[in-house]
Amino acid sequence: MPVSLNYVVKRTVWALLVIIGVIVFSYIFLYLAPGDPAYIWAGRPRGVNATIAIMNARRELGLDKPLPVQILLFIKNVFTGNMGVSIEYKQPVSVIIWRGLTATLELLIIAYLIGVSLGVLLGIYSALKRNTRLDHGLQVLAITLANAPSFWLAIGLIVALAYLTGFTGYGRVDTRLAIATGFRPITGFYLLDSLIEGNIPVFIDVLLRILPPAIIVATYPLGLGIRMARALIAETLGEEYVKAAIAWGVKRRTVIWRYAFKGTIPSLTQVLGLAFAYSLVDAMIVEIVFGREGLGSLAYHIIGKSDFPLVIGLMITVTAFYIIVNTLADILQAMIDPRVRL
Amino acid sequence: MVLNSEPVVETRDLSIGYLDEYDRVWWVVIGVNLRINEGETYCIVGESGCGKSTLGNALIGILPPYAETRGIIRIMGEEIVRDDKHCYWKSRGRIVSYIPQNPGKALHPFMTIHVQFKHLYRARGLRLDDRGVAEKASRILELVGLDPDEVLDSYPHELSGGMQQRAAIAMAVSTGAKIIVADEPTSSLDANLRLQILKLLRKIKEELGITLIMITHDLVQASKNCERIGVMYAGRIVEEAPVKEIFRNPQHPYTQLLLETVPVLGVVKELKTIPGEPPRPGEYPPGCPFHPRCPFRIDKCSREEPVLRKINGKHYVSCWLR
Amino acid sequence: MTIEKSRMQKRIRGIKELFSRAWKRRPVFRAGVVIALTLLFMAILGPFIAPYPSEGWGIPPATSRGAQPPSPEHPFGTDAAGRDILSRILIGAGMALFQIAVVVSVSLAIGLLVGSVAAYYGGVMEKILNYFTETFMAFPAIIVALALNSLFGRGLMVVLLSLIITWWSWYARIAYVNARSTREMEYVLLAELSGLPRYRILFRHILPNISTPVIVQAITDTGSVLLEAASINFLGLGLPTDYPDWGVLVQNGFNYIYSYPWISLIPGAFILVAALGLSMLGDSLREEMDPRLRRRWRLWF
Ligand SMILES: Nc1ncnc2c1ncn2[C@@H]1O[C@H](COP(=O)(O)OP(=O)(O)OP(=O)(O)O)[C@@H](O)[C@H]1O
Ligand SMILES: [Mg+2]
Repeated sequence: MPVSLNYVVKRTVWALLVIIGVIVFSYIFLYLAPGDPAYIWAGRPRGVNATIAIMNARRELGLDKPLPVQILLFIKNVFTGNMGVSIEYKQPVSVIIWRGLTATLELLIIAYLIGVSLGVLLGIYSALKRNTRLDHGLQVLAITLANAPSFWLAIGLIVALAYLTGFTGYGRVDTRLAIATGFRPITGFYLLDSLIEGNIPVFIDVLLRILPPAIIVATYPLGLGIRMARALIAETLGEEYVKAAIAWGVKRRTVIWRYAFKGTIPSLTQVLGLAFAYSLVDAMIVEIVFGREGLGSLAYHIIGKSDFPLVIGLMITVTAFYIIVNTLADILQAMIDPRVRL
Repeated sequence: MVLNSEPVVETRDLSIGYLDEYDRVWWVVIGVNLRINEGETYCIVGESGCGKSTLGNALIGILPPYAETRGIIRIMGEEIVRDDKHCYWKSRGRIVSYIPQNPGKALHPFMTIHVQFKHLYRARGLRLDDRGVAEKASRILELVGLDPDEVLDSYPHELSGGMQQRAAIAMAVSTGAKIIVADEPTSSLDANLRLQILKLLRKIKEELGITLIMITHDLVQASKNCERIGVMYAGRIVEEAPVKEIFRNPQHPYTQLLLETVPVLGVVKELKTIPGEPPRPGEYPPGCPFHPRCPFRIDKCSREEPVLRKINGKHYVSCWLR
Repeated sequence: MTIEKSRMQKRIRGIKELFSRAWKRRPVFRAGVVIALTLLFMAILGPFIAPYPSEGWGIPPATSRGAQPPSPEHPFGTDAAGRDILSRILIGAGMALFQIAVVVSVSLAIGLLVGSVAAYYGGVMEKILNYFTETFMAFPAIIVALALNSLFGRGLMVVLLSLIITWWSWYARIAYVNARSTREMEYVLLAELSGLPRYRILFRHILPNISTPVIVQAITDTGSVLLEAASINFLGLGLPTDYPDWGVLVQNGFNYIYSYPWISLIPGAFILVAALGLSMLGDSLREEMDPRLRRRWRLWF
């Protein structure tokens, strides 16, 4: 099926426009704040070096130029990966964020692998057993999971694991083990890295540490998957093509999977893509509770510290992630459905 | 053609209703007795909502689970439904097949025609590789007047409406069933295609010796293809006769009025509409269901319901006036 | 004028009817109503029925008892400063409802206006407003709260503002989609022909017509708003440490989860049940509105 560039280009340009909007909004945010933007950008400095820091910030932001030029400059800086230097960490914002993003993404991806597959399966099962006690039970489970505050679930799991197994060590990897086995991150995705290096002990360690938080992050896609898959399957089962397939004698299992389920895939892709983008923040919160490194802990450590460049960097990153994932999900959805002439 | 004395499709006092949210039953088909012989084309004609599709679905065995049935359906001598016991689904699709009303919706949008044929052959227990499927499907596609090379690897939306309907007919035939229920097979097509599809149905029926049950709301179409017509009103068969007989000598007032709404080529006449509206399920009037709209009604019509009686040969009618 | 009135009544009957039908048929809806009413009851009476009101408001007792596990005097135990958790939860219910009410009503107002204006006026206005809507949909509330926090420090304003900034766009989207279909409706065209000013058509004809789906959506959202507000407060971005807010309560126990887990776990359970009840309410209403979801059946083939 030919993927026409037209749709992809249109969708991409729109996403870029929205990202630019986000960047502009972030800048205006800084500008509207009470006080001197340069003073804020420099991290509200005090003491002897304050004047120099403020002057540097002024130059960096181009505050002597008119506002539109400032904004353009800022956009250019963001797109070239120059988002300033974190006041708290004394490192370029883009470097810190990239490090944190890989950690959080690893958690998010593992969580979605668990949550989506299980959720969709249970949802289909629920639709097939519609209006039985099992179906009702699954629906209650789903709506509960989708509404449970993840930080609370995380605390509950930590407490339960501590009481049951005595395990309290979280974080991404056991540092001593990593040093002993000579583990060195390459991509930043530790599961992948340890596999590439063939470092099985570290792989197991990383996996064991990622599973509890991943299970918590997975509750949302699990609940959503159950509800969406059930609703969508129930809808496609009422379609004329399912009726015709049954009338032509197609086997029950084929009807369910090859006819009804196949019909739900584009919508599922879109909904779960949206949820994936949305869950980044969820993963950040869970990271904070579990004390894992990642975007979440980055944000948590600078609360109340007026590290403004990093805050803006985080805001742009998380928002851009949302937009990009959403756009990808839309394009993917259109590619799956042969009727959509792209 | 061998005319069996035993009908291939037979229903006895078949009533079908749908359960609503409060578990009340809304009867939409009431006491239908059909006897359809092998190789025959039988046509069920009636206004929208009179229960034609419901009756057809019952014969195919695809009534939804919230439907309620009473009476007996016997197909090829085998009892498939008796008072709400659906015991038919094991051989569903192999004995009775189905031609959909809207082929655009009845073919799966995400699978090529080739893949859909593959699933149909699998359903019959045939394990064929891709080439085998293509060969077998090609023969049927050619029969329905499609170019297999063009159609097999297309998605349904890439075909025109007429081609979709031909593909759907090919699929219906490929199940190997000898009885086919066609639910308004032409109503989503334009006038020219309509004739072509009707012709195609006739050809297939003759070549493969198929018993065809056509459902339509159009008397003209019915007259083109069929041997016998059953006129349905408010869930009942109110008149049943061979085509010529129906046109020449309609007995039920509803049939007569229905005929007056049909334009006849070359004859200038005033086309009439039937006054009033057909009753909705659950609001069927007592006595003869047609009496509120009937110009010839007598007192008895609103009190007692007439039964289908033979008036001559193969002509049956349910009306107190006959 | 009379036509106007009759339509208003019809619309209200629509929502009322929706409620009564859902009540009759949906156990999930009944459960949601019970939970929502309990929440309301707690919010109104909380300050009066709380066993230790001053502790509930955040003032530690004169002689600190330290963290105590649940006991007859303190059914939910006490926190590290010795405050009775039950009292804090009871008083926190009002705070939760207050945040939900402000956020939902303000974003609903903004969203309805923006969405319907975009749909009705069309043209450049439509493009620009949709662009804004889409941009703001991308912001997560917690990140906005982080930015606001680094500018203004902690406070109620941070919670409310960050949630409003991020929620209005969702209502704008729904309002836009619904209003676009009303724009072509007959009586709107008639009103236009009769020379009514456009803004009056907007307020009289378009807004009343799209409000039912948007309001049902808003009811569904109350649960999510509660969850997001709780997250913001839990992270310490919003309300200050001693505030009687459920999210803050969970935060208060966060440092003691191994030794005194009840300080965090019990208030968190209240967040879960409240959010669950509120979204059950909205979900069942939505299902009741959509006839496709209403049919009862089982798989038969
Ligand atoms: N799946 C269903 N559930 C509930 N009621 C149904 C269902 N299908 C049909 N009905 C009702 O049964 C009655 C008869 O419907 P049916 O589809 O058999 O009529 P029809 O004669 O085929 O009409 P049409 O010409 O419009 O296809 C209608 O009043 C319809 O509302
Ligand atoms: Mg029909």
